[in-house]
Amino acid sequence: MTPHDDRLKALFAHDEPPPRDPAFATAVTERLVRRRCLQELALLGGVSALGGLALWALWPVLQPAVTTVSGELAPAAWAVALAFSAVAILGGLGERALAWNHD
Amino acid sequence: MKLEGLDVSLVAAAQAGSTEAFSRLVERHQQAVRAFLRRACGDWALADDLAQETFLAAWPRIGRLKAGASVRAWLCGIAYRKHLTSRRSAARSRTRDAAYEAERTPPAAGALEDRLALEAAMAELPADQRACVALCLAADFSHAEAAEALDLPLGTVKSHVARGRARLLVALGVHDDPA
Repeated sequence: MTPHDDRLKALFAHDEPPPRDPAFATAVTERLVRRRCLQELALLGGVSALGGLALWALWPVLQPAVTTVSGELAPAAWAVALAFSAVAILGGLGERALAWNHD
Repeated sequence: MKLEGLDVSLVAAAQAGSTEAFSRLVERHQQAVRAFLRRACGDWALADDLAQETFLAAWPRIGRLKAGASVRAWLCGIAYRKHLTSRRSAARSRTRDAAYEAERTPPAAGALEDRLALEAAMAELPADQRACVALCLAADFSHAEAAEALDLPLGTVKSHVARGRARLLVALGVHDDPA
């Protein structure tokens, strides 16, 4: 490297950004995350719209079956809902009691 | 861990979907990409915008980066194509120019003339020659690395660097024959 090259390099060094620039890195990451989020939202929206369309198209076929099945499953659904509620309430009480004992 | 080794592991992690690893790559290479773009386009604010776009474009393409390839050269290649695209679109906001002027720190008095002469000479170089000069003379890229980044033949890069260097030196009032 000649002295002229060194001189050029020294002049070019003026354009050099800092070796670490958290603001720049954060801005890029922020835009990246936002873009990913939008892509996921678009995908989710698309899938939901497709599901909705499929359901709308198939509803005349599905409706009789759903009506029959829902009538037969109603008592079982009640029992399952009661069981879930009991587990949730008793589980929550149990955890609270354990936490109280630890305190 | 060596720096190249760190790049390899970060690239592997980013290829597996880690945004954290990609953020580390951004931190590690932002200086090289931004410096290259600043020298290639001469507008610091626009260069930083293009650098952000470069990294955003790099993320979905990182899976295509071959193992062991230079991350810096790959990113500068994307940056160069972004720069060429932005050159083609003529409409540029005037506020960007104002921000650019506001952001620039004035060079030291002694170097002012040289800086201005260098900027003017760089602005007159054709885009590909300017990019070669920015990579090889300012950023220590090898000719081969610059050829890979800019997708130009090695001989073209060498002649661009030699011609660009000669024109810059003339602009600075120096006349010499490259060895």
